[in-house]
Amino acid sequence: MSSPFTFKPLEIPPELEPLREQVREFLREAGRDWSGWKVGHSWTGFDKDFSRAVADKSWIGMTWPTQYGGGERSHLERHVVVEEMLAAGAPLGAHWFGDRQSGPLLLRLGTEEQRRRFLPAIARGEASFCIGLSEPNSGSDLASIRAKAVRTDGGWLLTGTKIWTTNAHLCDYMIGLFRTGGGDTKVKHEGLSQFLIDMKTPGIEVRPIRDLTGENHFNEVFFDEAFVPDDMLVGEEGNGWKQATSELAFERSQPDRFMSCFPVLPELVDAINKRGSPDRLAAREIGATVADLVILREMSLSVLGQLAEGKTPAREAALVKDLGNSHEQQIPNLARDLLDLPATIEQGNRLSELEGILTQNVPSYSLRGGTREILRGIIAKGLGLR
Amino acid sequence: MSTEETTIGELLAEQLERLFSREVDRERIVAVEQGRFDRALWDALEEIGVRLALAPEEAGGVGLTWEEAEPALRTAGEWAAPVPLGETMIAAWALGRAGLEIPDGPVALAEEIMALDEGGRVSGSASLVPWLSQCDYLLVVARQNQSTHLCLMDRQSLELSAVDTLARIPSSRVQCHKATPIDFAEIGDLVGELGLLPHIATLRTVQMAGLLDRLLSLCVEYGNDREQFGRPIGKFQAVQHMIAEMASQAAAARVAGLYACRQVDRNRAIQGATVAKARTGPAATRGAEAAHQVFGAIGFTDEHILHYYSRRLWQWRSEGGSENWWAERLGREVLAAGGEKLWPHITAPATADGEDS
Repeated sequence: MSSPFTFKPLEIPPELEPLREQVREFLREAGRDWSGWKVGHSWTGFDKDFSRAVADKSWIGMTWPTQYGGGERSHLERHVVVEEMLAAGAPLGAHWFGDRQSGPLLLRLGTEEQRRRFLPAIARGEASFCIGLSEPNSGSDLASIRAKAVRTDGGWLLTGTKIWTTNAHLCDYMIGLFRTGGGDTKVKHEGLSQFLIDMKTPGIEVRPIRDLTGENHFNEVFFDEAFVPDDMLVGEEGNGWKQATSELAFERSQPDRFMSCFPVLPELVDAINKRGSPDRLAAREIGATVADLVILREMSLSVLGQLAEGKTPAREAALVKDLGNSHEQQIPNLARDLLDLPATIEQGNRLSELEGILTQNVPSYSLRGGTREILRGIIAKGLGLR
Repeated sequence: MSTEETTIGELLAEQLERLFSREVDRERIVAVEQGRFDRALWDALEEIGVRLALAPEEAGGVGLTWEEAEPALRTAGEWAAPVPLGETMIAAWALGRAGLEIPDGPVALAEEIMALDEGGRVSGSASLVPWLSQCDYLLVVARQNQSTHLCLMDRQSLELSAVDTLARIPSSRVQCHKATPIDFAEIGDLVGELGLLPHIATLRTVQMAGLLDRLLSLCVEYGNDREQFGRPIGKFQAVQHMIAEMASQAAAARVAGLYACRQVDRNRAIQGATVAKARTGPAATRGAEAAHQVFGAIGFTDEHILHYYSRRLWQWRSEGGSENWWAERLGREVLAAGGEKLWPHITAPATADGEDS
C-alpha cells in the first residue's frame, strides 16, 4: 500500500480498433517508400508533406475544441493514432512538438487570440513549433538561463542564445523561455516568462549544428534584440518556470519516450527466423523485450489517464521516461547480440540502415527532454530523500 | 469496476496493513522459517475474512475480482506475511468457481498438472510446493483425456519430502500415486493449458511488487537517517539515483502485477502472467541488488530484516515459472508469428487465452 506513485490502469476500448485500422491503412500507403534510415529518425524526422497528410485525416490536435481546429476526440483516440505512427517510425517532427506540447500549452494558458491564430494552423499541419529552453551554459540547470526579454514599446526585445533546439531551422515558431526579471541565484526560478516567437522575426539567426550522425537536426538560435509584440507573451509574466515545467508531464510520459527504436523489432524477429529455428537465448531476449514494452505501454496509458483528469503526474512521467529511454536505448545492441550483423551499413537493407542510424542516435534519448540524472533526481525527491 | 467495489478491496488491504505492520516482525518470520505454523496470524486473518475474498458469493465468498483483491495480495507480499494467504485465496477462488466445497484452513497449490484416471485417482508429481507441510490440503489440476479437473487432495494421501529454497519457507516435493481426492470436479476453461501455473505466477508477481515497495521505503528511511562524511547518505547523488532506479523497478512490478490480475479476470491468465513474470523477475533482481548496496554490511547480517525480503524476492522470481521461462515462451510465440504480427499482438484488445485475436 505504500507506493509513492500512482499507476491506475487505463484501457483502450475495442471500439477504437477501427480507428487503429484506419491509421495502419494510411501508414501502409504513406510509408511505402520510407527507407530504414528515414524510419530510424522516427518522431523527430521533419516532413511537412507528411504532416499535412496527417492533418487531412484530422489527426493533429485531435483532442482540442473544434472552434480551434481540433477534433474534440478523446485522449485515448489520440494515443491510438500516436502509437501507430511511432510503431511505423513515421516522421512526425513537423507537427509533433505543436501537437504534443505547444498546442496544449496555448489551450491551457494562451489568450483567446493566440488560440484562434495558432491552434488551427497547427492542426492543419502548417505551423511547426520548436521549443527554446537550453542555452550554451544552461543545460540540466535550466533555471540558470540568461537569455533575456526587455520591455520596449508595445512588446519585448529578446537577446541571448538558445541551443540544441531541434528543427529550429525548419520551424515557423518557437515557444521560448526568457528571463524577464529575477536572476538572483536564490530566486532563479522566478522572473522567467514564455514567449511565442515568429522565427522570421528580424534579429533571429539560426545556426545549424551538425550532430554525430553527420546530419543537422538541432541548432543554435541567436537573438539580437528581436522584437516580440506584447500579445505574444504566453500565460503570465514571471510564471514561465511553472508553465514550462507543467508541460513536462505531457512531454515525458508518451510513447515517443520508449518507441523510438521500435521499428527494429519486427525486422529483428524476421531476421532471427530467417537464420533457422530460434535458439533459447534469442527467444528469451525477444520475449523479455516485448514484456518490457507491454508494461511501459501500460504505465504510459496510466499517466495519460491522470493527465486527462487534469492532474499533473510529473514524477510518474519522469519514471516512465527513465524506464522508457533505457528500453529503447538497448534495442540496437539487442539486434547486434542476437544476429551476426555485418560491419557495413548496407544501403537498401532496412535492418542495416536502422541499426546504422539508431546506434548513433540512441545516446540522445536519455539527454533530450530531461537527462536520466535529472529524472532520477526528480524521482528521488518524490520519494522523500531529503 | 465500480468505485464501491474498489473501496472494498482497498479497505481489506488497509486492514491487512494494520495487522501485518503490527504483528509480522523478524521473530515471527524466523519461527516460520524454522518450521512452525503461525497459528495466531492465521486466526487473525480468518477473523478479517480475507481467505474467501476471491471466492464467488454463491460459495460464501466476498466475490472480489483479482483486480480488486490485488492490493490485499500485494500487502501480504509487502510484509512477507509468513502464511500461505495468497495460495489459500486462489484455492478458494478456484474451488468456489468449480462448485466444490471450500475447506477451512490453509490450502497449498501445485504448479504441475497431474493425471486423473478412470477410477477417479490422481497421479503425478510436483517439484516444489511451498507451505504444504503446514496445510491439510493441496489443490491440483489434473487431466483425463481432453477434460480438466480440479482436485482437492488430502495432504495425508501424498508423499512429501522437504526441499530447501532461498526463501526458507517450509516447502515440499510431492509424489502423488493413485491418490483419491477429497473431492473433484470438471472445470472446463476455468484454467488454461498451463493449469494453475499462471495464477501462481500472478500471485508471486504481486507479492514481489509489494516487497519491492517495502524495500524502497526501507531504503528511503535509511538513506535519510544513516550519516557518513557528515551527512545522510541519501544526499549523495549516487545513492539517490540507485534508490530512484529501484523506485522505477518497483513501479513497473506493481503495474505488471495489476496487469496480470486484470488478465485473470478476463480469462487470459496466461497472457497476463507471461508479461508480468517476465518483467518482474528483472525488477526483483535489480531491486534486491540496490537495497543491499544501500544498506551496506549491516544489511548482509542475519539479524537485519533485509534478507528476509531479498531472499523472498530471489525465490519468487523462480516460482510459478521463472522470468526466463516465461520470456522464452513469449519470445517463441512472437517469433513464430513473424515480425509483421508483433505490433498487432501488443495492441490486440483482450480476448481469452487460446482464442485468436
